[in-house]
This record gives sequence, C-alpha cells and structure tokens, in this order.
Amino acid sequence: MIMMTEEKRSDWFVVGARGRADAEAADELESGLRRAVESSAKVAVDFSALSYISSAGLRAVIQAARAAQAAKVEFVICSLTQPVQKVFDMSGLHQILHVRGELPC
Amino acid sequence: MCHNQAILYETDFFLNGNLSELERLAAEVSHFCAAHSLDGEVEFDLNLVLEELFVNTVRYGGCEGMESSSRVRLRYDSAVEVEFYDRGRPFDPTLVPPADIDAPLDQREGGLGIHLVRQIMSDVKYRRVDEWNHLSMHRRGRNIVADS
Repeated sequence: MIMMTEEKRSDWFVVGARGRADAEAADELESGLRRAVESSAKVAVDFSALSYISSAGLRAVIQAARAAQAAKVEFVICSLTQPVQKVFDMSGLHQILHVRGELPC
Repeated sequence: MCHNQAILYETDFFLNGNLSELERLAAEVSHFCAAHSLDGEVEFDLNLVLEELFVNTVRYGGCEGMESSSRVRLRYDSAVEVEFYDRGRPFDPTLVPPADIDAPLDQREGGLGIHLVRQIMSDVKYRRVDEWNHLSMHRRGRNIVADS
C-alpha cells in the first residue's frame, strides 16, 4: 500500500510517499514522481514515511530520476528511513541519485 | 531428500501468481519473525528477498495467474533458513552475472532484485526438481562480516 502526497514549498515541489514501495505499488509511485517532475523545475521526494522499498520501487525512482535528468529538473530524494537507506546503499544508488538527509525547504 | 523431510518448517505457505499476494507474503513473514522474536531488520530483509524472488517468477518466470505457483518455507535455528520453490520456467538465479552497481543511471541494466538477494542471503543453492525451481539460502547472521 502506498499513498502519494503533493505540496508546494517556495520553489520546491515536495512529493511524499507513505507506506511500502513494493512491486504492487511501483506504478503508483512512478506516476506520482513523474507528475512532480512534469510540474516543477525543483522536486524534493520526501521518503520519511516510507517504511519499505524493493527493487520495483527503486526502479520507479530510477525512471523518475531519468525523466528529471532529461528535463533538467532538479530531483532530490530526502529523509530515507534507515532500512530504506540500506537498500539504496546495497544497490549503489546513493552514488547516482541525489540523496540528502533533510528536505531542502 | 530424506533429511529435509525430518526438518520441521513451521512457516510453510503457497503463493498464487499475482502481485496482490505481496500483502499476504508480508503478513506471513511478519508472523514468522514475531514467533521467533526476530527484529525489524530481519523482517525487512526476509520480506525483500522473498518479494524479489516471487515477483521474478510472476514477471519473467511465467507464473502470472498460476495458482500456488510459489512455495515458501521458513525456519529459524540461529540463522533464518529460507526455501523458495516455484513452478515457472527453469531458471537458476545463481547463474545471473553480478549487477553493475557502479554504472551510471542511464546504463543500469536489470538484475537488481537478484543482486539484493545476494547481498542479504548466503549459501544460495539452486536445484530443479520435477516442475519446480528450488532455492535454498540462509540470512547472514550479524556476527558474520559480509563481503563488500
């Protein structure tokens, strides 16, 4: 189960994901992230309420990051919980995605 | 195998070839961990590994829509022993080459799921028995230094 949220904070579009980014939720996660990338030049992804992610969820994030890269949209992943951070680390994604500890706004 | 039949797997369940089964998988893993007082990190790891294996059978193994296409058996005896069976096409994940985790974003290939399984589990062994793929593995204990 995943629930996407959207919020504008100054010039940032903050898109949040609450719940579990498993294979069943991956399409919804990708849609929400892509919608943010299409809406703003600066996107911050708030994962503070994301308790779980699998490779399907990671792939959704990668696809959205690719879209952001192509559109020259700033795309930062923020506030990973510790178990989710571990999955990002195991995948090497922390090297190619812009991950930070706190939201930029 | 004779000695396997003597081992009691308290957690033993089938999954149908449908991604909606992921919720039931999560519940079974949660129940198993609670029964053995295993913490959230163990539960997360087991859930992740089993999801990766199961989703691969549905997406690539031909198990989509197949009833009881996968079977999961879990046992705890100082380490968590996992047995995963599926009735999909013959596929040995131990033969998948290592994922290139240093590749830039636009060059990433697949294999991420298997990569994660290998990071978390050790002694992954594959056998094909009748119509079943059979994987056995155990979760690395905390006191074992993982290969980096």
